[in-house]
Amino acid sequence: MKLERKPSVLFTSAVLSIGLLTSSMGFAGQFDGVTLRVATWGGSWKENMVQAIVPKFEALGGKIEFVTGSPQANLAKLIAARGKAPFDVMETLDAQEKEFFATNELIQKIDLSQLTNKEHLDEWQYSDWRVASWSTQEVICYNREKYAELGLPAPTTYQDLANEKLAGRVVIPDITSGGGFANFGAIAYAAGGNEQNVAPGLEVIKSLNSLKFWSRGGEVVTQFESGDVYAAVVHAGWCLRARKAGSPVDTVQPVITGTSHVGVGKYGWLVIPKHSKVPEAASWFINEYQEPEFQMLYAVKSGVVPTNRKSISQLASDPIFAEMLELDPAKIGNQLQIDYKKADTSDWIDQWNRSVSQ
Amino acid sequence: MGTEAATSTVQRADLLARISARRRKGPPPRRGYPWGKLGHYLYCGLSYIFLLSPMIVVIGASFHGGEYYTAIKFPPDDPSLQWYTKIPTAQFEALALSFGLAMLAALGACVIGIPAALGIVRGKLPGRSVISSVFRAPLQIPAIVTGIAFLQLYYLFGDATGLYFQGTFIGLYIGHLFVATPYVVGTVTAILQRFDERLEEAAFSLGASRWRTFRRVTLPVIMPGVYAGALYSFMVSFADVPISIFLTAPGFVTYPVELFYGMENDFDPSILASSSLVIFFCLLVLLGMQKLVGLDNLLRSGSR
Amino acid sequence: MKTRWEMVLLPSFLIVGILIVASQYVFLKGSFFKDLGLGRISDTATMVNYLRFFTDSFYLNTLWITVKTSALAALFTLILGFPVAYLIARMRSRWSMILLAGIVVATFVTIVIKVFGLIIIFSADGLINQALMGLHIVDRPYTIIGNQTGVVVGLMHFTLGFGVLLLYSVIQTIPRSLEDAAQIHGASRWRMHLRVLFPLSLPGVTVGVLMMFNMCMGAFTSAALLGGGRVFTLPVLIQRTVMMEIKYSMAGTLAAVLLVTVLLINLLSIYLIRRLKSARLVIA
Repeated sequence: MKLERKPSVLFTSAVLSIGLLTSSMGFAGQFDGVTLRVATWGGSWKENMVQAIVPKFEALGGKIEFVTGSPQANLAKLIAARGKAPFDVMETLDAQEKEFFATNELIQKIDLSQLTNKEHLDEWQYSDWRVASWSTQEVICYNREKYAELGLPAPTTYQDLANEKLAGRVVIPDITSGGGFANFGAIAYAAGGNEQNVAPGLEVIKSLNSLKFWSRGGEVVTQFESGDVYAAVVHAGWCLRARKAGSPVDTVQPVITGTSHVGVGKYGWLVIPKHSKVPEAASWFINEYQEPEFQMLYAVKSGVVPTNRKSISQLASDPIFAEMLELDPAKIGNQLQIDYKKADTSDWIDQWNRSVSQ
Repeated sequence: MGTEAATSTVQRADLLARISARRRKGPPPRRGYPWGKLGHYLYCGLSYIFLLSPMIVVIGASFHGGEYYTAIKFPPDDPSLQWYTKIPTAQFEALALSFGLAMLAALGACVIGIPAALGIVRGKLPGRSVISSVFRAPLQIPAIVTGIAFLQLYYLFGDATGLYFQGTFIGLYIGHLFVATPYVVGTVTAILQRFDERLEEAAFSLGASRWRTFRRVTLPVIMPGVYAGALYSFMVSFADVPISIFLTAPGFVTYPVELFYGMENDFDPSILASSSLVIFFCLLVLLGMQKLVGLDNLLRSGSR
Repeated sequence: MKTRWEMVLLPSFLIVGILIVASQYVFLKGSFFKDLGLGRISDTATMVNYLRFFTDSFYLNTLWITVKTSALAALFTLILGFPVAYLIARMRSRWSMILLAGIVVATFVTIVIKVFGLIIIFSADGLINQALMGLHIVDRPYTIIGNQTGVVVGLMHFTLGFGVLLLYSVIQTIPRSLEDAAQIHGASRWRMHLRVLFPLSLPGVTVGVLMMFNMCMGAFTSAALLGGGRVFTLPVLIQRTVMMEIKYSMAGTLAAVLLVTVLLINLLSIYLIRRLKSARLVIA
């Protein structure tokens, strides 16, 4: 090569190497430019994800947006969108069994090859169409000091809340809230009914003389703090948070009278809506959700029961958690699980509306 | 309307009053407050307290010093500006959307409403009152019915053509325009009815073209009515919930709907902070209008 | 060359007319079908939704609650608002500007914000309960959430601002000199009101009250937030049916009943007022 060409060679190779460097930096972002929309409850549910998962996704070049609402409201948004997906990953409830999983026509398959964390899960906790997100324990949360003041023994089941000393001081979930169906079904069972016969439950609900029906768990924590409420039917996580916020509350796993069950469980599932354009990012998210660190964070902050066994045994070391939640696997297995295949939730809402309207 | 017939009565009464006043030597008659001035003022004071207290409480409570779950109190326990710094961007986006939408809705309502009013008042049409009721009809339809009707319309249209308008700006805009137009039609009609057409005829006879006459003579006179109608349109659109709740979609919400969902799902004292900012903003807009047009002029001409 | 104002009117008329007809037709038509769940609708036209509505006491009760709360709210708004409108209309000082500004701000600010304020005021340790408990009027906190009182209060806040503005513009059209004349000629203040102000303003006030009633019938936010999930008015039920139960046809039926009720009540009121006016002819 003659001397005058050397600069051009140098120049070309410099340009090429810079080009390679920058393009390799571009390729580092697997989800460059991808916006993943997650449909979940708002408030602290969303905050946990913002803390743990969002930074990881952003490091891969993407962005996460949240669509907040209860699973029922989000389902309505999904149906209203007609041919488009208003979000890419959704938290659903076991109560939505029929709507989602009878025909799978609203959802698409999850890329299970991305689900590296399935080693932490049981067989039944994942499939092509859904992956478990968490479970909750629906309990009776009561203020032990107020109970002592009133001379009442600790409640054991729902009917105990119908005590007249507690009138106007009890809250139960509105049927449209997250905890609505599970607790409604449980009260029906405890009153002698079942999924297809909920009328006995309605009688009990009327007798409770509830202050109001909560639609956000956060309300319950506030109400315990302000002394508005002495007892509530909520999932254990809210009771835990009320305790951490300073209220002297305890949990009781309700005895489902007339059955052998003690306690009520509720499961959540993660699904990908059919028309989502970013199923790989959605599958990535679902995998991240199963990450033991995230599940621990979720459990400690929100009081949900993690999906994987390892995390459950780790939590037993936290004394407050161990006290307020049921961590013995055998007893967890004995909790009432509503069989939503047998339930007509639409009819439940109808009957609920009629019964509670003022 | 009884007011037309009363005009001659008014003129007579006015004349009588002036004559009588000149004859009387004593002080002018007391204002017509049945319970006395003080009683009336007190009653109105209570009404004002009733009306304004929620907003004052919201502003005060926005200085909430506690953590996320502590009960929100007024007066706040421990004043701090913390929640003003924690307002999520989603709320600002929703605010921008609401504002832009309201401005455009007011504008659109004028564009549709002014010609309509002109036609109703000036056109020698036989079915005038029917046409007028058609324009007033959206006011009769309950807002929630409008919302669900448009939603269904967009579904039908979308199923037929593949173009879905729900959750889009145009879809939302059409819904807001629908309910905003009657206000402009109403106020401009009212002011046109008192307009002296001879002003226009004078301009004509002096050689002005139709458009020029309209622009230079008619428009300035009816402007107070236009402003009043536009103001009502803006208010209705900015504050609307029932229509917007059906026509918005995740990621595309107006401010009131964002607040509504926030109250249901995501309650966060930052909502109080952003609400206080909105109240403050409304006050500013009001001040601006007072300087520009004068509120009393604006609302005086809004009569039917 | 005379301007053809009819031509000017035409495009606007077409736009508004088409929107009205199209939107009302679609949802009314939809109400005649059966919901199949999850937003699907059957193909055969049936009256089943309407039959269900009129034979079910729950739905009929909902209709009644809607009319009742709206009527009460409109009435109380009139009672609270008319004196205020009169004051601002007759006031000569610059204070009227400030009073008017207060009203306009209240109208501007969306009802959701006002409902927050109401909830805070009426919370267990809020101002009202502190006063009530302190004065020993009640021994446990009084709440407006979850009962019809709360819904009426919410609706009042919704319409008070607009109501005062409407009433203000009506009173504006009645000149002061008429009132002065009546007083000069010996009428006491009450008599002046009864025989001058009220009859003259009646047409405008009726239209205003009807507008407020219509607003309340269609209002959803205050009832939803203050109803606490227990008070079901038709707008709340409609929203729930669309958003929670995803039954578009039934929602259409509910909306149709609401619309027809509103129209009927409006027509009835206007008819009644006309009869009254011709019966007790005062001035004009």
